[in-house]
Amino acid sequence: MLEAHGLTKSYASVVAVKDVSFTLARGQVLGCLGPNGSGKSTTVKMLIGLLEPSGGKVLFNGEDIHEDLAGFRKLLGYVPEEPNLYPYLSGHEYLEMIGLLRGIPQATLGKKMNSLLHLFSLDAHRHASLASYSKGMRQRILLIAALMDDPKLLIFDEPLSGLDVTTALVLKNLIRELGQQGRAVFYCSHVLEVVEQVCSHLLILRKGEVLAYGTTEAIQHNVEHSSLEKAFVHMIEEVDTNQIARDVICAMEGQ
Amino acid sequence: MSGVLTAMDSSTRARPFPLLVRLFIARVFRGSGSSEDTELDLSIGLILALLALPGAFYSLFLLEKYSTLLQWMHGQKELDPLAGALPDEYFFIVISMVVTGVVAVWRWDSIFPDRRDYANLVPLPISLRSIFLANLAAILLLALLLAVDVNAASAVLFPLVVSASENTLSFFLHFVGVHTFVVVLASVFSFCTVFAIVGALMIVVPYSSFRRISFYLRASLLACLVAMLSTSFTVPAMLGSLPRTYVRFLPPVWFLGLCQLLRGRATAPFASMGHIALFSVLIIGIVGFVTYALSYRRHFVRIPETVDVSAMADRDGGIWLFRVADRSFLRSPFQRAAFRFAIKTLLRSEQHGLVLGAFFGLGIVVVCQFLFTSLSGGRLELAGDASPDILAIPLALSYCVILGLRFAFEIPTDLRANWVFRLHIDHTTKECVSLAQRVILTFVLPWIASVVLPVYVYFWGWRVGIVHAIVVALCSLLLTQILLRNFRKIPFTCSYPPFGQSSVLLALFYVMGFFAFVSLVSHLEHWVLRSLLGTIVMIVAMAVACIVVPRVGHDEENVEDTLLFEEHAPVAFDLLDLRKGS
Repeated sequence: MLEAHGLTKSYASVVAVKDVSFTLARGQVLGCLGPNGSGKSTTVKMLIGLLEPSGGKVLFNGEDIHEDLAGFRKLLGYVPEEPNLYPYLSGHEYLEMIGLLRGIPQATLGKKMNSLLHLFSLDAHRHASLASYSKGMRQRILLIAALMDDPKLLIFDEPLSGLDVTTALVLKNLIRELGQQGRAVFYCSHVLEVVEQVCSHLLILRKGEVLAYGTTEAIQHNVEHSSLEKAFVHMIEEVDTNQIARDVICAMEGQ
Repeated sequence: MSGVLTAMDSSTRARPFPLLVRLFIARVFRGSGSSEDTELDLSIGLILALLALPGAFYSLFLLEKYSTLLQWMHGQKELDPLAGALPDEYFFIVISMVVTGVVAVWRWDSIFPDRRDYANLVPLPISLRSIFLANLAAILLLALLLAVDVNAASAVLFPLVVSASENTLSFFLHFVGVHTFVVVLASVFSFCTVFAIVGALMIVVPYSSFRRISFYLRASLLACLVAMLSTSFTVPAMLGSLPRTYVRFLPPVWFLGLCQLLRGRATAPFASMGHIALFSVLIIGIVGFVTYALSYRRHFVRIPETVDVSAMADRDGGIWLFRVADRSFLRSPFQRAAFRFAIKTLLRSEQHGLVLGAFFGLGIVVVCQFLFTSLSGGRLELAGDASPDILAIPLALSYCVILGLRFAFEIPTDLRANWVFRLHIDHTTKECVSLAQRVILTFVLPWIASVVLPVYVYFWGWRVGIVHAIVVALCSLLLTQILLRNFRKIPFTCSYPPFGQSSVLLALFYVMGFFAFVSLVSHLEHWVLRSLLGTIVMIVAMAVACIVVPRVGHDEENVEDTLLFEEHAPVAFDLLDLRKGS
């Protein structure tokens, strides 16, 4: 369904992403992991066509997404990392705008909005301004906006950020269910245990390059660790987290 | 021992008070930080220079009036510079009050500590009293800085120009001293007045309603300030009839009185005005301080108990309008979505509302001027033909509203949220111009139909009423089309274009456009209304122009094909990458 071939992005002399390739098939949930600055967000922006790659290409159903970007985006649901919304719009108005921009017929749109707002417990706040929403509520609005048009491909960039426990559990199950129903899901996160639970495949990035790519079990098996957290730390090998924790205490005490 | 250590520790720590003062002052110029990318990207130096410009320019324009050589050439033998400077002094007082007032209204949100300050500062080991005092100190410094800056250029240039005919240094120094003192005091008065009014509102109104009401209040204050600017051309002529005339209620007149008082040239009415000026500065200063202290206590301290709300319409407000628009003139889903977004932004975003309010205020001022000139012996001449001034009224208002909307379209709102449009819209869409046109006409055509048509029909008959409504509508459409040529943006979603070299030229173009749109059209209409044939020819010609103008010179090939979401300053020179060819 979605293929990245040698994706590269450079800003002047800085290479943010270098030669990233992977395939996301129908029914797969591909987790994307990596420390800060590993190129996850840049990769996501290239996947959805917000950034033009310096090299390589993104194929959707075998065709370059830039050949029919509007058609590709019609089938795409995207939840960005930061909930940047127009604060003076209400949740209802924001979703209505997204729905209209996506070309959802108004009668269907109303029905979908009502059920999704109810399911995500935002019914009572639908007419309040987004400025008054908590981070979790904004995140839920973004989730509804991404799911509203029944997309075939979903790209989530840190979707659990700010969500309460119940909604986070709902989302985890939802992602698994979306995969089982034949949709493709690209899931970026820092929460390793969630990635371990919901993702069938993993893509691990470090300094803009692919460090590991394969099924979750295969990656864990290759590095001979019982949990993904240990496997991740083993692969990244950047820092001794225990030592840093001790150093932080020392720095606090002024040593 | 521990006491010594504590004392040593506190002496080595940075003192928070100056840091806080600096923080509060800096954010007035740089925004509150909530949406940095939507703020105009101007350095503090440039902002201060821009604020000083009006006074500097006007001083230079006065060179002709006070130059002894030019006076001699005009045959003016003896000009009393102090008497001659009275209208100009009035203008400088007005301009200092207006510029300072506008800045205070515009940046109100950044002047008063907000939710962000609460979240960042209150958890720190700093007392609320320190935050209060630091903010107060910042406000006082800011008022002084603005007052000095706005008048900096004119405080030197204006006395220089006026004293050109007087060769004594003492005359110059005395003039500088009095002028500077009065205009700075007028600026402080203006700043404190805005502060006191908005502060009083914060005390009286519940926080949930404050944001919504404050928007309308600030827009009204802006309109009043712009209206005050227009008095500089009419009030000096009425000063002779002080204190009987109503101009005695205008604050700039009080400060003019103070100026005369300090120069030892005050007549009894001017002297009393001068005393009022001093008294009012004292009173408004006290009121400003009290309202600030109370609103701080009521607003800032209780921030955690309140919910952050923005100016919002009622839950069902305007839905019917969008339904009507959907069925009548919004054809595609893109137009429906972007139209809703544009209208809501204009009505709810404070920044855009204030811009629109300022232009609308300007329009009202111009309309008032036309009405005054149409007054004959205190009565409006209703008999006979509608005069060009009468016909110009809706044209002037329409011009200002359209220009204000066009200007507001360029100011982005929450730029980081525009990813929604980047992601969901076909970037090659050709619907931007028609969308922007529909938004503008939504703000113009309804009042032409509901106010202009009935009023002109009632006073000047069916023919004049209908013709005039059609002419105003067609002119508005034509102006909209001209202003939106090659428009490749969704309103409010593109980064603000930096001030380019063409900005001054553009401003001149707008001023000249006003005369073409308002004076020329109203005179032409007045002339053609005498014959039916002429009227028909004019309307047909304008309708043809509306069809032809969007097509003339429109080069599909050369127009950018994709939507703009970022606009950069044009570079002075381009590098030719000749390596590609080699």
